[in-house]
Amino acid sequence: MSDKKEPKSIERRRFLRSGMQMALAVSLGGVAGVSLLKSTSKDLVWQIDPFKCVQCGRCADECVMTPSAVKCVHAYDLCGYCDLCGGYLKPDANARTTAAENQLCPTAAIKRQYIEEPYFEYVIDESLCIGCAKCVAGCTSFGNGSLHLQVRHDRCKNCNDCSIARVCPAEAFQRVPADTPYLIKGGFTKGGNSEDKLKKG
Amino acid sequence: MEKNIKYILWSTGTVLLILFFWWLMKDPTSQFAESIPGADNRGADSTSVGPPVKIGENFQVFGTSTSNLKGTWTRFRGADFDNIVKNSLPLKNSWAGNDPEIKWSVELGEGHAGPSIYEGKVYVMDYDETKREDALRCFSLEDGKELWRRSYNVSLKRNHGMSRTVPAVNADFILTIGPRCHVMCVKRETGDLVWGLDMVQQYQTEVPLWFTGQCPMIDGNKAILAPGGTSVMIAVDMATGKVLWETPNPGGIKMSHSSIMPWTLNGKKMYVYSAVGAVIGVSAEGADEGKILWQSTAWNHAVVAPAPVCFPDGKVFLTAGYGAGSMMIKVTPSGSEYKVDVLKQYLPKEGMACEQQTPVIWEGKMLAIEPKDAGPLRNQLICVDPSDVTKVIWTSGKDGRFGLGPYLIADNKMFVLSDDGTLTMIKPDGKKYIQLAQKKLFDGQDAWAPMALADGFLLLRDAKKMYCVKVN
Repeated sequence: MSDKKEPKSIERRRFLRSGMQMALAVSLGGVAGVSLLKSTSKDLVWQIDPFKCVQCGRCADECVMTPSAVKCVHAYDLCGYCDLCGGYLKPDANARTTAAENQLCPTAAIKRQYIEEPYFEYVIDESLCIGCAKCVAGCTSFGNGSLHLQVRHDRCKNCNDCSIARVCPAEAFQRVPADTPYLIKGGFTKGGNSEDKLKKG
Repeated sequence: MEKNIKYILWSTGTVLLILFFWWLMKDPTSQFAESIPGADNRGADSTSVGPPVKIGENFQVFGTSTSNLKGTWTRFRGADFDNIVKNSLPLKNSWAGNDPEIKWSVELGEGHAGPSIYEGKVYVMDYDETKREDALRCFSLEDGKELWRRSYNVSLKRNHGMSRTVPAVNADFILTIGPRCHVMCVKRETGDLVWGLDMVQQYQTEVPLWFTGQCPMIDGNKAILAPGGTSVMIAVDMATGKVLWETPNPGGIKMSHSSIMPWTLNGKKMYVYSAVGAVIGVSAEGADEGKILWQSTAWNHAVVAPAPVCFPDGKVFLTAGYGAGSMMIKVTPSGSEYKVDVLKQYLPKEGMACEQQTPVIWEGKMLAIEPKDAGPLRNQLICVDPSDVTKVIWTSGKDGRFGLGPYLIADNKMFVLSDDGTLTMIKPDGKKYIQLAQKKLFDGQDAWAPMALADGFLLLRDAKKMYCVKVN
């Protein structure tokens, strides 16, 4: 009995287990490698310079994605938290309320919340935003310009031949390094260099 | 077999019928959320209630100053309400080297309140965030030394600046309005308190967005104020604080950021106010003093900052920012009544419009800086003829954008201050834009306050600092 060999089935189990462990290690290593490669590569992605954007509205219409991969983002540190917000309310709105007829956004993608007198906070619901820039135009004209457009890279297909960039009248679309894919106002200033660009969206 | 086919047909038909009714009954908008008022959970204005404000309760003296200067800039838009310095000293035609030199500067609380000047003294309505008080501050025009300060405690929260009104001053008195509509009258020489008036308490005034912008008016021995609330306009005796007349406000007109302008039409003196809800003309003399002579609710915008520009022929130019645009009305006397006709109404892209400053009239032409929503003309200085305010005669061009900054004219020169602290000197002209000189004086932020000029000293400020510049 003592000479009896270990059952083959156990060896197979070990083999399978170690094989799976190796496969997992290889896949994790691969993901890490790809991530590392991506973060250090010279790959470029499209982004909008918010200081060049003229809020023409073409980002909503020209993007190959539906709805557009261009979304409004909010630089909270620039916001005035106004009751009469030019990015939220239509010009000469009947009242400063959340009623549909007073809202500038055609999809009600901006949520407004009272903080304390006289401040209101404005939050973008990206699932509703179509990138039309109506709010950006209002905020730029009458406010601090805290609302601005950015290409969201969790949605963008990064077409080599971006259909919005081709028609952008202000040449606001530009290629930026993939590891610093956003030009968020506040961190990114007018004429700012790449060091000013924020890595996070 | 035939029975099975029948069974299948009946079953299919029944299923289709059920599906049809389901489709018919289904509300495709059931997932929609209504955008209705109140979703922002707006609270009550907790800062409007609090302990009564003791207007003018504090006084500090820091020094004395004697001056031989005789120049004055007595109120918002100057003595004649036209933003033009009369009898100015000769000013430099061009700038070289250090010109124009900053003589002094002082720190102020965040705001857009402009100064007034009277014989070597500068008066500014300020807000001290540390002490939480409105403060009328008096400085020496020649060296910027603070001489005295009359203040009172009032709680404010920052809201795109706090102070934004220009004191009115004459030989005897200084009249101020604070951010929360507190009116204060003090003696000019000594700073002694004469009287105070809380327009929120007395007239149920609704404090405008971003605080009070109305600059007070002194007309002879009367303070003329537009509280809105229960009285659209009032007159107060400067010496005693006694209310002389009150104009009822059945239409619920509200206080705007605009200021009252005097006007004489067909020999009748009146006060014109571009309020929130309407533009009104109130009698300024005679048996009907304090009565509304005419009004038009066709002019009704949520935010109105520029003052009305009144012409001798009965036309009144009205303009406002935030997308409102402009309107030209014609007021025509008709017996004892007045008729108001809207001659023209347009958006900012279609003609002269202003967001904060008031157009200036020079040799029959109107000059003003366009707002940001004026399309290609945004922030440019433009010139129009009052006969057609939508036809632009000239612009400062796309390289000549000035933000929302103020402007005034002295010695045939127009001074324009950009948001960022750049001062531009222009030769005002009815035919073309002529730039004489330009210099960035300081790293400014929101330099929107009206300027003041007397004795060759030009006073200008950004959000937090006031500067005195020598331009002669």
